[in-house]
Amino acid sequence: MFSWLEKNPFFFTVAFLVPFSIAGLVEIVPEFAQASRPTEGLKPYSMLETAGRQVYIKDSCNACHSQLVRPFKSETDRYGMYSLSGEYAYDRPFLWGSKRTGPDLHRVGDYRTTDWHENHMWDPESVVPGSIMPAYKHMFSNSVDIDTAYAEAYTQKVVFGMPYDTPNGVALGSYEEAKALIYDEAKAIVADMKNQDVKDALARGEIKEIVALIAYLNSLSNERRVAQ
Amino acid sequence: MEWLNLDDSVNALSLLGLVAIVVLTVAIVGKYIKQIKDEKAEGELAGYDWDGIDEFKNDLPVGWAAMYTILIVWGLWYWFVGYPLNAYSQIGEWNEEVKEYQAKYESKWANADKQTLIDMGQSIFLVQCAPCHGETAEGMGGKAANLITWGKEDHIEKVVAQGAQGMGFMSPMPPMMTDSDGAKKAAAYIMANFSPRGETKYPNLVSEGKAVYENVCAACHGIDGNGVEMVGPSLVDLTGEVLKYGKKDSIGYMPPFKDRFTDVQEKALGEYIYSLR
Ligand code: HEC
Ligand code: HEC
Ligand code: HEC
Repeated sequence: MFSWLEKNPFFFTVAFLVPFSIAGLVEIVPEFAQASRPTEGLKPYSMLETAGRQVYIKDSCNACHSQLVRPFKSETDRYGMYSLSGEYAYDRPFLWGSKRTGPDLHRVGDYRTTDWHENHMWDPESVVPGSIMPAYKHMFSNSVDIDTAYAEAYTQKVVFGMPYDTPNGVALGSYEEAKALIYDEAKAIVADMKNQDVKDALARGEIKEIVALIAYLNSLSNERRVAQ
Repeated sequence: MEWLNLDDSVNALSLLGLVAIVVLTVAIVGKYIKQIKDEKAEGELAGYDWDGIDEFKNDLPVGWAAMYTILIVWGLWYWFVGYPLNAYSQIGEWNEEVKEYQAKYESKWANADKQTLIDMGQSIFLVQCAPCHGETAEGMGGKAANLITWGKEDHIEKVVAQGAQGMGFMSPMPPMMTDSDGAKKAAAYIMANFSPRGETKYPNLVSEGKAVYENVCAACHGIDGNGVEMVGPSLVDLTGEVLKYGKKDSIGYMPPFKDRFTDVQEKALGEYIYSLR
């Protein structure tokens, strides 16, 4: 009955692999699906945070910074709790990074604040003597691309079913509503900043990239991850 | 001969092991060679005839049978109990190791002397706090609180005169009215009796300060200086309170460092900050 199979190496291999991979599939796939589900209470990125994430990607912060705290004591002492895979459920693309020229940033919102980022992004050496991180002064003059941020958030909601607009959750709404929201968010960040040009720009209705980036960095904290 | 030093137990044991291996190998190999040479096949035949070849009747060796049964039992346990309930997890290992380490750490340093704590506090400070407060803790020209003066007499006097806010207590501390030099006296009392520094610039004011403190401040900060829940922070462990609540005021935003440090580490940070002059 199997002489046909024995004469056809390709189909023999297939017939061999099917039963032998069952154990692997049964043990690996369910765990994998379980672990990639969002952690309980995880919030999607708000409009301003989405825009900041785009700035983060555009300026290649992930070339020097990872976003993955490993379960080693040396890392949890420096950065805080180790990362869980479910925390990345709403990261498309994820920004784990593969090189740490600078420190990990997955928990940076827990121990750095708006005013510090403002100083640091303007001139890293003003707060960390000898820092080799480049200054990002252009972020204080370039404006955020609100349309693309909305397009991304909207795609995440419609295509990937990200839980926007849930009761007590992160609101997105229509384009007009989202635009109003992003200004409110920007106001809260700018209130803690000192740069007068950024403040003036917001009064004119322009949100500078630095504002969005700081909102994103602040969101890398427990507040986004734990049900409040 | 240095390489054959049999006083070293490792060398002696290695040599003994070598001899054992040689003896066992010779004996076992010899036995089998002899068996191959001399032994005839014998036993009860099963009576088959496969192209002239027959088979001996042999029972399953006891060792094999036992192994087989044990493996079946282990397999059932593993599938239904071991794998679902006791599976290895890296995070589980982290949790256990860190718990054990932390307990050891706490007991090792539970009675550390002042200088050890100050050094420990400084090393934590350089990693966690220096990016905002600067390596010397002076606050990098106003980017964060100057911790060299913070918490000491002059700062307490300033707080009494101007009030304090930003840690998120039920209501901020209002500016306090005291009689002349009342603030200085209260500061002397707080520094001598509550603060980790345990001494003051104005030792002669301490006894008068006690009265001021108990009349004006104790309502919110407690007679023993340990604070009142929601009303006023502990002045005995003021750094601990700042780490717990953070502080957002005119200088900037200091994030809370809740649960980031062990008790000893928090104490060390306090000792370090209060040792700064
Ligand atoms: C050339 C590599 C490099 C690039 C690109 C880079 N950084 Fe850094 N970053 C560093 C280094 C090195 C440090 C550590 C020194 C310091 O704090 O300035 C650092 C530190 C930081 C810190 C402080 C983290 C902490 O825990 O102390 C933040 C926040 C940060 N970077 C954000 C960014 C952002 C946002 C971008 C993209 C706009 C970026 N970095 C791009 C190298 C880089
Ligand atoms: C009405 C209650 C109240 C009284 C009375 C009071 N305090 Fe306070 N005190 C507070 C509160 C609340 C805070 C925390 C303020 C904050 O949020 O930073 C505080 C904070 C402080 C601090 C720390 C300030 C800082 O920068 O962290 C000092 C020092 C202090 N009080 C000293 C005194 C002294 C001395 C007196 C008496 C002369 C006094 N307080 C009376 C409520 C009070
Ligand atoms: C993100 C920057 C930042 C980091 C990191 C930071 N601080 Fe601060 N800290 C501040 C700022 C800003 C203030 C001033 C807040 C104000 O009064 O406006 C402050 C104030 C303080 C004060 C005085 C609070 C008061 O009651 O006036 C203490 C004490 C303090 N920090 C200790 C620490 C210690 C200890 C660490 C390290 C574990 C630390 N800080 C890390 C920014 C920081």
